[in-house]
Amino acid sequence: MSATETQALLRVRGLTVAFPTARGNVDVVKSLDFDLARGSALGIVGESGSGKSMTSLAVMGLLPKGAIRTGSIEFDGTELTALREREMQSIRGDRIAMIFQDPLSSLNPYYTVGTQIAEAYRSHRRGVTRRQARAVAIEAMERVHIRDAARRVDHYPHQFSGGMRQRVMIAMTLSMEPDLIIADEPTTALDVTVQAQILDLLAEIRADTGAGLVLITHDLAVVSEVTDHIVVMRDGGLVEQGAAERIFCDPQEAYTRMLLDAVPRIDDEIGLLRTMTAAQEDR
Amino acid sequence: MSDTPEPLLRARNLVKEFTVSGNGLLSRSGRLRAVDDVSLEVRTGETLALVGESGSGKSTTARLIARLIDPTSGSIEFAGQEVHALTGKALHAYRSEVQVVFQDPYSSLNPKHTVERIVTAPLRYQKRPIPGGARVYAKALMERVGLHPDHSSRFPAQFSGGQAQRIGIARALAVGPKLVIADEAVSALDVSVQAQVINLLRRLQDEEGFSCLFIAHDLAVVRQIATRVAVMNGGRIVETGERDQVFGEPRDPYTRKLLAAVPRIRPEWDAARRRNEQARRDRETKEAARR
Repeated sequence: MSATETQALLRVRGLTVAFPTARGNVDVVKSLDFDLARGSALGIVGESGSGKSMTSLAVMGLLPKGAIRTGSIEFDGTELTALREREMQSIRGDRIAMIFQDPLSSLNPYYTVGTQIAEAYRSHRRGVTRRQARAVAIEAMERVHIRDAARRVDHYPHQFSGGMRQRVMIAMTLSMEPDLIIADEPTTALDVTVQAQILDLLAEIRADTGAGLVLITHDLAVVSEVTDHIVVMRDGGLVEQGAAERIFCDPQEAYTRMLLDAVPRIDDEIGLLRTMTAAQEDR
Repeated sequence: MSDTPEPLLRARNLVKEFTVSGNGLLSRSGRLRAVDDVSLEVRTGETLALVGESGSGKSTTARLIARLIDPTSGSIEFAGQEVHALTGKALHAYRSEVQVVFQDPYSSLNPKHTVERIVTAPLRYQKRPIPGGARVYAKALMERVGLHPDHSSRFPAQFSGGQAQRIGIARALAVGPKLVIADEAVSALDVSVQAQVINLLRRLQDEEGFSCLFIAHDLAVVRQIATRVAVMNGGRIVETGERDQVFGEPRDPYTRKLLAAVPRIRPEWDAARRRNEQARRDRETKEAARR
């Protein structure tokens, strides 16, 4: 096997994100290491304030102003932290795509979805005509099972339901044929039946294209169904990581065990639920 | 008639229509039927969970029952009285017998008031004496919901989300309600905190005996807390039944679709985890004995 075949698609080492405050720097991600193997799916799970979303933004180079990122992020052999913003822009959206929780905030209300998919495509593909890009948009919308795509392509974001908008975002992602999809709580705002459709769609796309997936979520049941490898985070730090089956069957850390105990099961009354008093809750 | 005692609350053929104004482009104004012929009962001491997806009409139904809005037609009887005919003193009394716990604890607690003032407010509004005085009563309430009684002079922003929701629950309990309406009361909480608040609600209900109308979209949460379940879709109740019947043998196709869509941790993984956990505990006991 050649080196490139064994190499991870994404290799993160010592990733730290800090925000300067009057009382010194506050680390919101603390020296995180993880790998994403080619074609596999990685889940980053944690409760609010765990640093999971900051981790995904750090990988994309989309951290808020003032944030200090240190450590190494290697994507397909390229050190992302060494790239200029311009170079990062050409990777973002083209080779690495991101899907956010709220598709409405990622879509421009003034343009039709077709225009937005087509323009995103054209910005990364030189010499593509508007007409060709429009055809790509329609095809992408068809691939995410938006019925009547040739007509819907001329509709505005507000004319789509929440689930349909998330499909549009995925269609936009798809048209670029990315190597890596980073999805941050992509189904959290959606109804459960719509969530199931979107997760199926992501699985279908990964099977078709072989794209890697980093799924950031608070929902342990969702990661258990979707991902192969799991990173558990708390307060910006790594709690533990491993194969999904290992994490769920034999969690090593007390925090992971507590999280798994706390997840309500639909098939079972949790007997249960280790009780901390509210006073012990982190403030 | 049957042997079952009169329910605490009985809603019959509730309808709520809203006027939707058109935006001038495509849609014309019309009537939206958010709640369409809903009948339900909440029995004394039980938790009826009203579940559904967004737009199913579950929250509108809750608001009708809390009398925050009036129905277009239909009736709601509470302890034998027609709720929407209540006025004056009787309505005032209803407002203390039925308490609501909302989804977002911060926006439902006055940020400028101390916990003491917040949790005793319902008693003041009811012009009822506060047993032992506000300070003592607030501390006792805080203890009942698992909060530190010494924190009664703090403000909502000084508490975490789970703690703030406990304040909301304490406030609801202050007047000794007969019915607590929990409208997505645990939906915004982190999973570890959510489990604690579910536990708290179950314990309090055992201790205080109130009935609960539990509005939720999360079926796994409902599985933990409901006595009976009513499933709503498109403004209608499509299925009502005992919890284990609805989850175990759902009759309505929509209920089946909803249950099938819920993501699940594999039961065999859970079983393996329980075995490993037991083995770990056994090992620890042995090691402790050896020392």
